[in-house]
Amino acid sequence: MLDNRLNLSFIPSSYESANAVMLLAFVLVALLIIFILAHARSNAREAASWRAQVLDLHEFTRRTLEMNLRLEPGPQLADLVHDIFALEAVAVFDAELHQVYPVGHWKADPQELAQNVYYFGTSDDDPKTGLGRRVVRLGTVPIGSLVVRGNTSPLTNNAIASLIAIAFDRYRAFANESRMETERRTEQLRSTVLDSLAHAYKTPLTAIRAASTGLGAMGSLSAAQAELVALIDEQTGLLADLTTRLLTTARLDAGEVTVHAAPVDVAPLIEEVVTSLGDRLASMKVELDIPEERVVVECDRQMLVMLLTQYIDNACKYSIFGSTITIRAEKVHAEIVFSVRSFGPVIPINDRERIFDRYYRSTTRASRASGTGIGLSVAKRVALIHGGSVWVTSDETEGTTFFAAIPVTARRRVS
Amino acid sequence: MMQTPIRILLVDDESAIRRALRPPLTELGFQVVDVSRGEEALQMLRAGGFDVVLLDVNMPGIGGIETLRRIRALAPRLPVLMLTVRDAEEEKVEALELGADDYVTKPFSMRELIARIRTAVRRVRAPARAEDAPIVIGELRLDPVKRKVTRRDQPVHLTRKEFDILLCLMSHAGRVITYARLLTAVWGADCREEVEYLRTFVRQLRKKIEDDPANPVYLLTDVYVGYRFADPQTFIEEIAEDMPPPDVNEEMSN
Repeated sequence: MLDNRLNLSFIPSSYESANAVMLLAFVLVALLIIFILAHARSNAREAASWRAQVLDLHEFTRRTLEMNLRLEPGPQLADLVHDIFALEAVAVFDAELHQVYPVGHWKADPQELAQNVYYFGTSDDDPKTGLGRRVVRLGTVPIGSLVVRGNTSPLTNNAIASLIAIAFDRYRAFANESRMETERRTEQLRSTVLDSLAHAYKTPLTAIRAASTGLGAMGSLSAAQAELVALIDEQTGLLADLTTRLLTTARLDAGEVTVHAAPVDVAPLIEEVVTSLGDRLASMKVELDIPEERVVVECDRQMLVMLLTQYIDNACKYSIFGSTITIRAEKVHAEIVFSVRSFGPVIPINDRERIFDRYYRSTTRASRASGTGIGLSVAKRVALIHGGSVWVTSDETEGTTFFAAIPVTARRRVS
Repeated sequence: MMQTPIRILLVDDESAIRRALRPPLTELGFQVVDVSRGEEALQMLRAGGFDVVLLDVNMPGIGGIETLRRIRALAPRLPVLMLTVRDAEEEKVEALELGADDYVTKPFSMRELIARIRTAVRRVRAPARAEDAPIVIGELRLDPVKRKVTRRDQPVHLTRKEFDILLCLMSHAGRVITYARLLTAVWGADCREEVEYLRTFVRQLRKKIEDDPANPVYLLTDVYVGYRFADPQTFIEEIAEDMPPPDVNEEMSN
């Protein structure tokens, strides 16, 4: 998903957006020049100094556009301002990275100075000390600060602060874009590897299973032999299940899965999942809570079974022995919200979002259990594919509840 | 009673699978010829003499589906079992609609494969059942003429559509019937997509004929594909519990 900021982004590969920035920066400088000239026309000596500052601003604009967006912008900007405007000292504060970048000779602590400007929102110029302070804003949002000491004018300081804001924004947009691209590529690679691995496993698994069950079917095995053959068979079954699950996740991730959307009656679906989990739920109390008599959702039945199985299985794994698992489904506006509540260790806030990521296993010992760390990511993918969402709430008194909201009517999806 | 052994043509490009299937099938009295390509299979079939084909779906060359199409042109009644993988439900449905008798999903157990082979062959070898003859499977008895169903000799009250579904499934017992085929048979071709509708009926039907509708033994689901009424043979074998399957002994003594 692209947000507004990215639409304005400064992706180097796109000439169009690069031109847009260039234009924006030059318009800014041009306006400033007109403004300065209008004020300076009366005084010839002042005009010469103004002209020099305008040329410096022009140079600064040009150099910020050539900045290396792969490196932090703060140090580069501080250096540029210091060099081009020939100042005694410069400090740039990047609020997002929470870093102050001082250049030149400072008597007072530039760290404190720059941060105070940001936190107290002070933008002013002190002619006595030659100190200029500016909050760096993107639109109205403060994103850092600039403190300079030396021979500049308030107007020039304003212009520098604006250009720094644009440079910060370009850097963020670029970083965001490359991060998303990297994530996408990594995910793609993962899916491909998983898919080919899972496929490569199928044939040997089939041969092993056919061989072990073949031995069994031929009979004439001693009890001990039969037991070993049964063990091979059972373990092959486990490996086959795992392979199938890997394959399914790989396909879900790659968006290669076909969604067989059809109206599904929710109550019998949940009952079916609970029945299929049979033994694992034996030690738990299970409560079904479906307030409306008939809840129907348009979805891929098998995928929804996967999602609910994962939620309920997860609840079994992590809840206190003998406690109650409550499974709920209700219509909220245009969605059916499924929830599975159980009582066990509280999921730390930091884990709540990432718990749905593939391979993420909580770092908290108490919340660990056996598993591959794949399951919840499948649940998330299933919900996303249906245009829905997943989330989790967790605290001591209310227990842990996993939610999945699925739109009642399937959207026409192009995959 | 001596029966001629079942001759199997096994078509799979993976030699490991051919090597795993051949010894137990041979040991259990089947005659097995194996080939690795659809093209070879068609050549072998032209010479004739096979009772059943085990056909892998994913093969290089013309592939399983095209091979099936050509087999059907060559031998319309020859039983063909497809060897498929999970997550390939559309392939399964396609194969069934092209006239495959059944499929097994890799990795399958030998018992399952053998049961499927026997069911398919039995169907062809058995004398055609008179259409109006009652069907008895396990403890269920369905009379197509009187349109009556009994379970443990107690009458089961079914609606018209429920009866039609049951009739369609029981008269093809042991064989998977795709959703589309069942819907077409009972409601007509216009309704071939109404799977959820069918599900509602099947749920009602299970409540009436199964001891535990959540764990059916008669009316089984083939996920994504369709429904299958349990093979009558499974109930006969259950009665003979600890004894080895009778026809296995018979064939091994050959």
